[in-house]
Amino acid sequence: MFFSISFKISLAIFVLGTLYRIINWFRFKIGTDALSFTMIDRIKSGVIGIFKTIFSLKIFSIIKVLILDVVLQIKIIRADKWRWIMHMCIFYGFMLLLLMHAFENQITKALFKNYASTLNPFMFLRNLFGAIVIFGVLIAVLRRKKTPKILTNAHDSFAIFLLFSIMLSGFVLEGLKIISSPIFDEMVSSYISGSDDITPLKAYWAKKFHVVFKEKININDEKLLSEGESSHIDNCASCHSMPETAFISYPFAVSFKHFGNTLNDFRVDRWLWYFHVLSCFLGLAYLPFSKFFHILSTPINLLLEPAEEEKNKVTSRIIGMDACTHCGVCTENCSVAQIYQVTQNPNILPSEKLASIKLLSRGKKVEREKLNEIAEGSFICTNCYRCTKVCPSGINLDDLWTASKNTLIQQGYFEPHNWIAQKSPSEWAETVKKKKDEPSDLIDNPEIFYGCVQCSTCASVCPVVAASNGNEIDLTPQQVMNLLRMGLKDLAMASKMVWNCTTCYMCEENCPQGIRVTDIFYELRNKAYIRFKDVKENV
Amino acid sequence: MSRIELKCDLLVIGSGIAGMAASLFAANRGIKTIQIGKTNTLSFTSGLMDVLAVHPIEEKRLWKNPWDAIDTLKKDISGHPYSKVSKDTIEKAFKELVAFLKSADVPYANYQNKNVNIITPIGTLKPTFFVPESMLNGVSALEEKKPCLIIDFYNLKGFSALQIKETLKDKWQNLRTAQIKFLDSSKEQFAEQMAYDLEKPKNLDKLAKEISPHIKDAEILGIPAILGVKRHSSVLSKLQELLGVKVFEIPTIIPSVPGIRLKKAFEDKLQDIGVQSFYSQEVIQVFHKDDFVFDVTGAASMFKIRTKGVILSTGRFFGGGLSADREKITETIFNLEIYGPFLRKVWHELDFFAPRGHNINNCGIETDEYFHPIDKSGKVIFNNLYAVGSILAHNDWTRMKCGTGVSVATAYSAVNAFLNQKG
Repeated sequence: MFFSISFKISLAIFVLGTLYRIINWFRFKIGTDALSFTMIDRIKSGVIGIFKTIFSLKIFSIIKVLILDVVLQIKIIRADKWRWIMHMCIFYGFMLLLLMHAFENQITKALFKNYASTLNPFMFLRNLFGAIVIFGVLIAVLRRKKTPKILTNAHDSFAIFLLFSIMLSGFVLEGLKIISSPIFDEMVSSYISGSDDITPLKAYWAKKFHVVFKEKININDEKLLSEGESSHIDNCASCHSMPETAFISYPFAVSFKHFGNTLNDFRVDRWLWYFHVLSCFLGLAYLPFSKFFHILSTPINLLLEPAEEEKNKVTSRIIGMDACTHCGVCTENCSVAQIYQVTQNPNILPSEKLASIKLLSRGKKVEREKLNEIAEGSFICTNCYRCTKVCPSGINLDDLWTASKNTLIQQGYFEPHNWIAQKSPSEWAETVKKKKDEPSDLIDNPEIFYGCVQCSTCASVCPVVAASNGNEIDLTPQQVMNLLRMGLKDLAMASKMVWNCTTCYMCEENCPQGIRVTDIFYELRNKAYIRFKDVKENV
Repeated sequence: MSRIELKCDLLVIGSGIAGMAASLFAANRGIKTIQIGKTNTLSFTSGLMDVLAVHPIEEKRLWKNPWDAIDTLKKDISGHPYSKVSKDTIEKAFKELVAFLKSADVPYANYQNKNVNIITPIGTLKPTFFVPESMLNGVSALEEKKPCLIIDFYNLKGFSALQIKETLKDKWQNLRTAQIKFLDSSKEQFAEQMAYDLEKPKNLDKLAKEISPHIKDAEILGIPAILGVKRHSSVLSKLQELLGVKVFEIPTIIPSVPGIRLKKAFEDKLQDIGVQSFYSQEVIQVFHKDDFVFDVTGAASMFKIRTKGVILSTGRFFGGGLSADREKITETIFNLEIYGPFLRKVWHELDFFAPRGHNINNCGIETDEYFHPIDKSGKVIFNNLYAVGSILAHNDWTRMKCGTGVSVATAYSAVNAFLNQKG
């Protein structure tokens, strides 16, 4: 009763949750190109797309993707052997447990006539599969501990915790069942006629199976034991292998023996059974809302990876976000991740930015402060493509970043060089005139630039100056140096020259006085960003 | 940390004309040579090569014949670097240098073995000896007072045709001027960028079309030195062909294109003849024990150089060979003894434009006859170290107009001295 009600509730949550998320694949939008399509358009186009793919030659390449990337996880093994082992252990360990143990009545019994959960090889295998999952979980924990670059959020921790508690409660539960005299009594009353003396059997089971009985039983009485053994062979042996083969639960059982009576009195095994079963159902209900959802979304995303149709591209962007497992490989490989160390804005890191962009894609109002943070992180991204290349879920991250940048720009959140260009250098200087300032290494240290003789070599070799038609720059590099020498650094900060500099270092390399012109420009930009960002007006 | 160690026979420190010439002479003599220096020294030269034009400077006496001037100089200033080299050496050194530059398509010439007057961007005349061939036309045109058009460009700073005309009005009446918008652009112009622009035939055609209407009766055209960098010869001849008149270049203010042509020629061709060069590198430490070992660092690398001999051609203050602080003047790499005024108050005259110059303009390294730096007592400090070029004491080269000659001749002598000593 309890079992079936709680199972049905969690199953219902699972089904509804999955549906909800699938519908959102067509509802949410990111990128300005997504604005022109309705949800119905996108569903239609998606369904047609899937049919077209299935009934074309593409199906073979998709089968190949399914085998290599989904079943064998080739993408992960190429990147990191240990991650592959982790993924394989958790996924296949859990799947085998699910099929053999959770669905024992439906699957295992149908396949094996003599199946009993306490019989080998099943008893051994259940422990083995559980151990495999735990091994995988341990690798996962170690990986997150050992790679400081990867950030772990509450979802990650909870997922790991849930898996671990399902496995551990299973092992402990089995250990408790081994020592349980109440269960022994139940079994006896079911399988042995009431008139028989079960003392020998009790002695045998107490000795060999480590059942803990309340009454004193002499387990060294050879006669008693041999009587017990024959009773065991007659009544029990066909369903019970020796408990030692449950190589993890058995040690638990042995260690519980000392306080076995207490445990039996309180029927802790029952309570733990509730815990175990509820954990499993919690996992089922939580699945559509957790990172485990990638079991469904990642394969679909891998299938959709070559989406060509514009509407499907927009849809696959959202599916892609659902396919993220928050594994952190993108962040490990991100070429601007170091900036996070300075600004502490997690939206710089692709794995974290993705969650923020998910928020953006819902179309609900996002707070200005949050949007500023997302924009800062987004525009630091150089679209270098490294994250896209390494993503084991095959998410087209590069496309996602471009789309989200467009959405941000559309909402009035620009790249720094854009919003800084909206005011003239003197307007900016006037705005921040009274603002406090922390001295910087270069622009506040006259020794860095006082050697400038205004020879204009920097301007002469500068490709930006050369390419400019007169509008792209306002000052030449040596004029920027001169502003610094005059103590007008606020005026230099918003200079077009500083912001249109390609940082090719020609000026710095050619400067006869060894002035670090490009480094100074870098610092001016950084300083400008810090000084101006609080006073900029959002459009 | 163990670093890459490069080995050579001769390390040339410096990338000005002295360093470049020393590297050239060394490579031509089969010496395994490494050169390190700044990237951009030569674009700070006018591209003109002086031998000697003014002596004594307090009298501002100009010499038409530099070789006669050298004879007098040797009698007057015993410490001058020219007193340690023969005229023959100077001539041989220049011959080798000019031949190299010709092979690099940067032809230099002199005029009747005498000093020539080159028009400067403000219209004064500068006496010098070897000049880029493209400037010689101007020398003869000035002497013959041919009808001439001088153009300048809108928004090219530091070059005014009108000012040149005004300054030269007594010497050259037949001078007209015109101002041209370079390729129709109203942005600020930089000579180096203009020179690269003109290497594109389309742009040169356009420029010729803009100049053409102004030519009229002029037989020769004077133009800022912007006619190409690496393809200068062909740009010049093409422009003459398009306009139908002779064209001569007038040097601009720094960074000047003739200097950049020299720089590119050396940077490209020295590698071809086997010089291993590292520009944009800096010596940070030296160890000496028979051989020299240098720690060298730059933007992207850090390495060691082990060498049997060193030519120090780091220049004076602007080049970085000498450094002056509140108390003293020091040599920046070996901390060699400096000849020169000790007390800061006597470094300079009260009159900034004093014709005889300032004490500090004569400071530098003193050497023996083989250009080994010596200490106060006249003792050679390292017998495998040579100092050449403007770092040498007793030559006020900017006033005497002897900079390139001193650099090239002393580099030549030092390389030969190294070879003899080694040999």
